[in-house]
Amino acid sequence: MASVFHVPVGDRTWQRRGAPGPLPVSPPAPAGAPAERRAGIVAGYLAPHPPHLLYAENPPQNEPRSQGGWESLRWAYEDLRTRLRALAPDVIVLHAPHWITMVGHHVNCVPNPRGISVEPIFPHLLRYRYDFRTDVDLAEAIADQALADGLVTRKLTTEGVRVDYATITALHLLNPDWDIPVVSLSANNNPYYYSTSSLEQMEVLGEATRKAIEATGRRAVVAGSNSLSHFHWDREPDLPEDMAAEHPFDNHQYRWDMRLLELIRAGRTRELRTFIPEHIEATESETKAGSLTWLLAAMGWPEGAGEVLAYGSVIGTGNAVCAWEPDGRR
Amino acid sequence: MAVAEATAFAGAALVPGMPHLHAAEPAPSWAELAAATRAAGESIRAARPDALVMLSTQWFTVLGHQLQLDPNPRGTRVDENWYAYDYGELRYDLRVDVELTERWAQEIEADGLQARRTRYDDFPIDTGVVVAQPLLDPDGELPLALVSCNLYAAAEDLAGIAAAALRAAEATGRRVAFVAVSGLSSALTQRWIAPDEDAIGAAGNERWDRRVLDMLAAGRLDDVLALREEYAREASVDSQLRALAFLAGTGCLDRPADVLAYGPVWGTGAAVIHWRSP
Repeated sequence: MASVFHVPVGDRTWQRRGAPGPLPVSPPAPAGAPAERRAGIVAGYLAPHPPHLLYAENPPQNEPRSQGGWESLRWAYEDLRTRLRALAPDVIVLHAPHWITMVGHHVNCVPNPRGISVEPIFPHLLRYRYDFRTDVDLAEAIADQALADGLVTRKLTTEGVRVDYATITALHLLNPDWDIPVVSLSANNNPYYYSTSSLEQMEVLGEATRKAIEATGRRAVVAGSNSLSHFHWDREPDLPEDMAAEHPFDNHQYRWDMRLLELIRAGRTRELRTFIPEHIEATESETKAGSLTWLLAAMGWPEGAGEVLAYGSVIGTGNAVCAWEPDGRR
Repeated sequence: MAVAEATAFAGAALVPGMPHLHAAEPAPSWAELAAATRAAGESIRAARPDALVMLSTQWFTVLGHQLQLDPNPRGTRVDENWYAYDYGELRYDLRVDVELTERWAQEIEADGLQARRTRYDDFPIDTGVVVAQPLLDPDGELPLALVSCNLYAAAEDLAGIAAAALRAAEATGRRVAFVAVSGLSSALTQRWIAPDEDAIGAAGNERWDRRVLDMLAAGRLDDVLALREEYAREASVDSQLRALAFLAGTGCLDRPADVLAYGPVWGTGAAVIHWRSP
């Protein structure tokens, strides 16, 4: 295995640009409005995206067929789907690591992304026909707010950019009917330069996301799509869903993942701000792409609200389905 | 090196894969790099290869070594980062030498490595291949044999992948040129710039890039390979310069290289390097 070097993205000039310019905030909900319909972020989910999970579901949109597998993670997603229905959000806002943008943070503002996504790394698992709606007003508001807060941004309005497998997998598993509008955010990193996201910038992006959600009056679920420990096998079994071959990469990875999940279960969310970088250093955690930091920053690092619904390995990587529901579960 | 292998080798090149080389209004360095890639292509075609064996660092994978077996990948590549520019959308219509590639896969497997055959409609060919191929071979005369760049593969394994390609060429009676599509240092500029603003993102990176290019021009390949990890660490080199290890795996780069161009692409270092056939 080759050595992996870490290079922070960016030259920090983003910190020196214009002062934050917050968007106008929508008027509060009228008195007497049902509490369960309040605007803002109503839940946050850690929603891992190995394409194996979608492949195992055998949805009609995906061409390959499987015998199943990775059930504990998929059953946790079933739980999330039930929760999501109960919350009835206006929009799902997702940050995922495989829309890789080497310059800046991009927001998909295409009203109706559609096409087929053949995954270049796992084409045998994911060849998926997608067709979904973007909440364009919110997407543009997030991009505008992030720019105002000093980040390099871009609004994707060009048709034809293939939607990546992480975005598809996480969104499908959260809402296979695709009947809730979406905002999709890119990850500012670059695998072949071995550069990772700036967690500092991801906090700014998370806060910008929250401001935009509140300013547009949306009732939103935010989802960060990261695996945890990220060392994995360099070969795949002949049957990808052969669960006899599936287990954590090693005990070191597993133990570090458990330390992170214990903090979530204990509701010690603020401690995660310092623990996430340690976990990345110890495990090459995919949280280096910043989705988890973005998610928790958007929610204001809520203390006492975390749940771990499942943990499991996929080709040796650690994956957890987690939920933060500040208003409590309905 | 066996005589037959030497006969099968028709030269090698390392070329950039950033789409800026196709810009309608390029920065001077982008234009120079594009012209140099065309020149490298002319030299390669003059050596009369039957196919181009190509590794692009932008087709990065994590499991085994993927090989393209679709005989005619075609479509439009809309780059997920550069889509807003004229060079962000590139059409391609490639020919793949399936017989050569299949034999290559068998040779990889014979070495105990995992070859993953890839043949799917709508498979997204990466930006690096789509950028380099039309510059090297504007008329599409040469079929390709394409392999992915495993993010975690050791440099020695990538060298073995190239050696396997040379054996496959020999076994199928082909004469092949090797192309690695890769940048050098990677201090990518993290803002939107005009072409004339482009410059290598860090002075130290440029010193490293030029040091390595001078060594290659002097025929000191082994010295560069010995420095590879340090260079990769100090200048954040594209895929740790394992693309050079891939080319070196042919065993045929034992001569001074022609460094045809060097310059910035959005802050990264990029070069066109050509090794002639014996």
